[in-house]
Amino acid sequence: MRASELFVLVSIIVFIFSLAYITSLGGLGQLPPVNVRLLAQRYLELTWNPLKPFMSSSGYESVTAIVWDFRGLDTFFETAVFYGAIIAAIAIYRGVKISGKGRTTGMSPIARTITRLSTILIPTVAASIALHGHLTPGGGFQAGSVATVIVVLIIMVFGRKALIRKGMTKARILLFRSLGLLGIGFTAVAILLAGTALGLNAYVFQNQPKPFAPLGFPKLYDGMILGGSLLLFNLFEFIAVTAGFTLVLLLLSLGEEEVRGVVEK
Amino acid sequence: MNLSLMTAYVVVISLYVNLGIALYGVFARPSLVKKLLAITILSDTANAFAVLVGYRWPASGTPKPPVYTNTTFNNQTLHYYVSHAVDPLPQALVLTAIVIGLAVTVFIAFIIIQYYRLHGTVDVRKARR
Repeated sequence: MRASELFVLVSIIVFIFSLAYITSLGGLGQLPPVNVRLLAQRYLELTWNPLKPFMSSSGYESVTAIVWDFRGLDTFFETAVFYGAIIAAIAIYRGVKISGKGRTTGMSPIARTITRLSTILIPTVAASIALHGHLTPGGGFQAGSVATVIVVLIIMVFGRKALIRKGMTKARILLFRSLGLLGIGFTAVAILLAGTALGLNAYVFQNQPKPFAPLGFPKLYDGMILGGSLLLFNLFEFIAVTAGFTLVLLLLSLGEEEVRGVVEK
Repeated sequence: MNLSLMTAYVVVISLYVNLGIALYGVFARPSLVKKLLAITILSDTANAFAVLVGYRWPASGTPKPPVYTNTTFNNQTLHYYVSHAVDPLPQALVLTAIVIGLAVTVFIAFIIIQYYRLHGTVDVRKARR
């Protein structure tokens, strides 16, 4: 081992032990703690609380309530960052033609049959995760990640060109991605637009009615919990994430010969 | 030493070891791909730390996920939920961190692929020559 490598190794070990010592002085406190912080107690108390309708969210799942209601604006910008990263990735690949023409070599008939069956099963599970995101663990991002598994399978088993021939072109996927993001944006301002049209007070990212702002998304329908804006946010995030991942995978699966000519220009 | 405390120690020590491996990968490995893998390990370790800080072991019973599971609502069920569910805020923040981390990882992966196409290597020492 060279002196420089030894120096790096020793520095890292010293840093880790220092960090461990600093956190043990009181940074983390008792582990695991008996109680959660007061802020967490408020979030848990107000996730589903018919006694405090003006303050509570509209679903059973506290994480989704925080992500899309209590701290919805954070998540909106996070989605915008993800969108920006995908745009940046496309910009790197500008000028590269993604064609579905030509012969594709796929895997065995067994793998193809299993994948065909999975094209129904996996999106169904993903849709279930997205649509129940306000009731059970899950949500739009998790559902989008699950749905992307089928895209990976199709690329591996049938080939990238087969995916494009089925209509999943770069422009179309980007359109879905943009529609997802627009849907999120529209849901964020829907109550504000309705309030402005009716001459009532309303807020950006308003989910349930508030004092002096009487409009809100429906919480229940025929005894069924709809989740208000949480359901719509999860649905649009599901579309946006699935399309974003699909586009990234499509670009990553491009062959060396298709890209080299453009890169060397 | 009770079981929950011992488990917490094992988890914390494992996370520090993970942190060390990640930092070693970022600083000492010459391959850009290995640097990227190390960055993902680093971000996952930080996320696991955040979730651990939000974990709890209530005085009675076992910890519950932050999902209200009672179909009926009254003060008793709400009190049980608030006194047993783990902190949902770190989980929400980690979800955000995962998405942003993924976006950054995707972007870095694309840059590494382009780097390889231009230089024919992902080894930073060879590319410097």
